[in-house]
Amino acid sequence: MKRHPRLLSLFVFITLIIFIIVPFVPLLLSSLSFGWRWPDVLPESWSFRTWEYVLNDGRTWQAVGISLWIALIVTAVNILLAIPAANALVRYPVRGRWLFEAIIFAPIIIPPFISVMGIHLTFLRLGLTETVVGVVLAHIAPTLPYMFRAVMISYQTLSVDWEDQARMLGARAVPRFFHVVLPHLLPGILAGASLSVLISLSQYLITFIIGAGQVVTLPILLFPFVSGGDPGIASAYSLLYAAIAIAALVGMDAALKRYYQLNKASQGQAKGVKP
Amino acid sequence: MWRKSKPYLLLLPAAGTIILLFFGGIFDGLLKSFGYFPAIGETELTFAAYDSLLHSGSFWESMALTLRIAALSSLLSAVIGALVALALFFLNDSMKSASPKAWHRLFQLPLTIPHLVAGYIIVLLFTQSGFVSRLLAAFGWIDDITDFPVLVNDPFGWGIILTYAWKEAPFVALMLYPVLSRIHGSWREVSRVFGAGNWQFVREVVVPVMMPAWAIATFIVFVFTFSAFEVPYLLGVTYPSVLPVYSYQLYTSGTLSDRPEALAVNMILAAITILLGLVAYYFSKRWNVLKGWG
Repeated sequence: MKRHPRLLSLFVFITLIIFIIVPFVPLLLSSLSFGWRWPDVLPESWSFRTWEYVLNDGRTWQAVGISLWIALIVTAVNILLAIPAANALVRYPVRGRWLFEAIIFAPIIIPPFISVMGIHLTFLRLGLTETVVGVVLAHIAPTLPYMFRAVMISYQTLSVDWEDQARMLGARAVPRFFHVVLPHLLPGILAGASLSVLISLSQYLITFIIGAGQVVTLPILLFPFVSGGDPGIASAYSLLYAAIAIAALVGMDAALKRYYQLNKASQGQAKGVKP
Repeated sequence: MWRKSKPYLLLLPAAGTIILLFFGGIFDGLLKSFGYFPAIGETELTFAAYDSLLHSGSFWESMALTLRIAALSSLLSAVIGALVALALFFLNDSMKSASPKAWHRLFQLPLTIPHLVAGYIIVLLFTQSGFVSRLLAAFGWIDDITDFPVLVNDPFGWGIILTYAWKEAPFVALMLYPVLSRIHGSWREVSRVFGAGNWQFVREVVVPVMMPAWAIATFIVFVFTFSAFEVPYLLGVTYPSVLPVYSYQLYTSGTLSDRPEALAVNMILAAITILLGLVAYYFSKRWNVLKGWG
């Protein structure tokens, strides 16, 4: 293999293209086609009909907005819950550590719809069904473990010495948290946030059970089309949905890079001022 | 007092939320699976739902289908994922620092695609009038739509298996790659000194190194595909359906008497996933695979 790196990389490259890129081709073609009959590999005629329908429909943007809104609230709640919990489990001698870990990581193993179907009637009685609040509450359990794990990993690399030093220099608890702890945790929080947003965006069943068709997120809007609706519109919606999921992820990544760049710049300035 | 209880107070919000929202829901479902519906005056606990489930043919058929689909999807993802990870590993080895980073990103693309979209991609590719069928017709390998096998909404579940293979193989590769990258270049040289070829190097060094992570990744895919809803709901048939879809069908059938049965299916599913999860956790702890998972 060392002798044919070119050949090998070409082979891997082609396999990669077939496996990853080609599956998207029919999706794109179908969204741009106008009557695409069977033996034709390419559509006979092209049109932007489906994209016009999808992009001009007010429901589309409403669904995008609600999906992102729910994902953002869920992620914010997760951050608030995960930071103290991760702090406790990493830095303190906690008795029954395995139990706390088992509780918080349980929704990764046990499918969340089991819990949501069980709690459905209780939510109905409390008036939480058909509301965004109810859907947010349903999305917390499947997403929190990932945020918790990401923050926990960040805490493991943060030595207590850093905070002790800040304490020695006279920093109180709040500035200590915002100037020492939070900057260190931020990459972990962003990694957890990407997962949290992604998982929240892709929930169909639990959103459907609690939202009861009234909270229309992207998957809820998409489903009737992909299960036997107009293939062109289904394809356009699918592409939009996938693009938003990817954009959310890329956006987080870019935010992280930008943060590091800014940090470097400000450090450089500080160094320049010092002497 | 404060010092002692502080970590527990810090844990309280997260653990409390999960207990209330998640375990509360499971407990709620458990009570109702025993027929406990105070709202309609049913306060007696019975095993009627479990009894009728365990004696119904459709439940066992559903169970068999679920196991088959989960087993085939996880095996297929495991094989493809390992090939992908190995290919990337050797590529890195031979190209040093050229462009593999971007390729890693590309390989993770299916992971970010929502399950419903992944399912629809498989529909467009593999229905009888789908893209693959068109390509085969263009090459003259088939003459008619009906020459292409039914792979979507088929009773065997091929469409579901293909979707999972596409989505979860990159996950397996992602779990394996960090393990493989721990293999130093010097090991390769040592193996060459001892006269090992490429194939022997893979068999004697690479495979044993990646075995624990491989087994755990495959197992995680199995547990996930065993209990996932969206893909089989979109790509399966009404009967037989996988357990999560079966439960949903019972829950929304309209008759209130089916609800305890639906929740009983859920409880059985929960018990199985907990058991599988404990097995995975035990072995990953023993083999030290899931670093950072606690």
